[in-house]
Amino acid sequence: MYFGKGCRTMISNQILQDTIDGIKAITRCELCVLDMDAKVLVSTMNQKPDFTDVVQMFIHSPAESQVMHGHHFFKVMDGKQAEYVLTLKGESEDVYLFGRMAVFQLQGLLEAYKERFDKDNFIKNLLLDNLLLVDIYSRAKKLRVDVAKKRIVFIIETERSRDNSALETVRSIFSAKGRDFITAVDEKNIILVKEAEPDETYEDMNRTARVIVDMLNTEAMAKVHVAYGNFVNDIKEVSRSYKEAKMALDVGKIFFDDQRVAAYNSLGIGRLIYQLPMSLCKMFLKETIDIKTLDEFDDEILNTIYKFFENNLNVSETSRQLYIHRNTLVYRLDKLQKMTGLDLRIFEDAITFKIALMVARYMKYMENTDY
Amino acid sequence: MASLSLRNIYKVYPNGFNAVKDFSLEIEDKEFIIFVGPSGCGKSTTLRMIAGLEDISKGELYIGDKLVNEVEPKDRDIAMVFQNYALYPHMTVYDNMAFGLKLRKVPKDQIRKQVTEAARILGIESLLDRKPKALSGGQRQRVAMGRAIVREPKVFLMDEPLSNLDAKLRVQMRIEISKLHNRLQTTIIYVTHDQTEAMTLGTRIVVMKDGVIQQVDTPENLYQTPCNLFVAGFIGSPSMNFTDADVIQKNGKLTLNFHGHEITVPEGKADALKPYVGKTVVIGIRPEDIHDEQVFLESSKESIINAEIRVREMLGAEIFLYFDIDTTTFTARVNPRSTANVGDTIQVAFDMSKLHVFDKETEEVIFN
Repeated sequence: MYFGKGCRTMISNQILQDTIDGIKAITRCELCVLDMDAKVLVSTMNQKPDFTDVVQMFIHSPAESQVMHGHHFFKVMDGKQAEYVLTLKGESEDVYLFGRMAVFQLQGLLEAYKERFDKDNFIKNLLLDNLLLVDIYSRAKKLRVDVAKKRIVFIIETERSRDNSALETVRSIFSAKGRDFITAVDEKNIILVKEAEPDETYEDMNRTARVIVDMLNTEAMAKVHVAYGNFVNDIKEVSRSYKEAKMALDVGKIFFDDQRVAAYNSLGIGRLIYQLPMSLCKMFLKETIDIKTLDEFDDEILNTIYKFFENNLNVSETSRQLYIHRNTLVYRLDKLQKMTGLDLRIFEDAITFKIALMVARYMKYMENTDY
Repeated sequence: MASLSLRNIYKVYPNGFNAVKDFSLEIEDKEFIIFVGPSGCGKSTTLRMIAGLEDISKGELYIGDKLVNEVEPKDRDIAMVFQNYALYPHMTVYDNMAFGLKLRKVPKDQIRKQVTEAARILGIESLLDRKPKALSGGQRQRVAMGRAIVREPKVFLMDEPLSNLDAKLRVQMRIEISKLHNRLQTTIIYVTHDQTEAMTLGTRIVVMKDGVIQQVDTPENLYQTPCNLFVAGFIGSPSMNFTDADVIQKNGKLTLNFHGHEITVPEGKADALKPYVGKTVVIGIRPEDIHDEQVFLESSKESIINAEIRVREMLGAEIFLYFDIDTTTFTARVNPRSTANVGDTIQVAFDMSKLHVFDKETEEVIFN
């Protein structure tokens, strides 16, 4: 068995090898597929056959099949253009028939791959807003993509680049449902355009995102962040869901950096703050809480604040969750009031405080990313 | 050899949040150790740092003799089982288990050997040709475990692997995991927020709160000799009863006075409490250490209190009685033959040898 290097088409050598192995198992004929430079791509023979001269002659001849040196040679056509040369050992009529059938199989594969490749391109262009509205519908029709389906876009960012295992894992989870599109936009980002069932909710999508994170952690052993946009109901809106997912990924990293899943619909005011100019942020902090005061908070106070917000300013529940006495929490809140002038038990003050914390965090993030 | 050494580990997020603080722990080879604590206590973050899925901000992590802070997850010789697993729907059980190995380009023969062996350990050899949709919940969970086992790792990391299962299946899988550890003889680090799961599975338990280790001990010791108020309250279900009490010296003896009740501190334990005379402490008593049997009451006259029963829960093998002492609700786990009913005022006595007393300020234990 031999795997050649390189391939002009998008069929992987692995698929080609599996195909000829399958045909060999049925016909008991040795097969070999070569590219149009007469290089062996895959073969069922243990030793790499050397057909260079014969194949080059065959390629340049107008014949679609020939018998030479005890082998049948066939051209595998993609439309009017030859894509591969297939050889079968033997000169008999049976071998010729097997060859015809193998060519038919390989041409079918080429067709399927071309369609998939086209779909991939279509979705990439759709996400990047590179298509005119009229083209979206005509190409979708040609590629048999249902335009009026509920869809949502996930972005999966892995920290390890140049590694296919993350993409392979995501493909393996979702490819059984042929209606989902998975594509790698660059070395770190995978995009999943998922077709959702009509009754699926954002909670279901959150579960899906968590499954992606845990599966990539355990199978590909890759660090990963997943973000998703909102549902859209028309193919032309898919790019919106993609942009939302992209924003969720950024905003999530700023405000929820200890979490691995970010949903656009739960970014809250983080989404607004993310779009504020730095000058306005500085002014806001100057007028509310001095950023130096924020730096003075120790872990205990910070943890208390986060928990208090998480529990909707409920003193009893927060103290229960922090495993502290109610009075201890009240003492901490009083201390905070002395430091900042804001009483977190009062809704207005709590809002100001929360925004100030987020603005400070945003400013720090921007400073660290060479704003 | 798969011992682990975590030395002064910290995790600080860019926003300044300190998720794990000065975490130091030695984990023995083949040990089954549990990290337990409320959500947000840093247990999963610690596990993820061991896995290499989170960077360690400060400190050192050794697996065996090797410092692995900068080692990629795939090179740490670990395998993980997490809460949100999925089986590849179009693949057979065999392919599901083999997938991770294929990604790592393990030779086919080796994959077959490892998958077959893992299937044998898990008792799922007959399911290898099935697709996930033809499996029950428990079988799927086993396949997910199988994906970790085929890697033949030095260390298994499990983060709440049973959380998505229903209560019955969870109990069943708990037993399976325990058996699995015996069969595999590998180090397992298991994270859970469920103290029952922790108590039943682990040989040693690490209790965490706010990113800090509170106590590392065997399940028995954690239950019987908690080192502070948090551990005492967290371990045990129903949890330990707590109330404030004043330490008074009377006739050469120490008493604990709370809400009009007075109990005498046993002589053997009085010394530890002497520095607290005139101060307030927190006393803790487990529900099973409050008794209403006549025999016990007669022998424990120094700790009898009157209680009006608010709620009575009959659980078959035991009864939970709920009564108020001032504003604090106490729970007593009594014998099912108890005749106490809602509205009755009965006498109950604390087993003073099982009383726990804590410093109100530091929340550390004074005596157990």
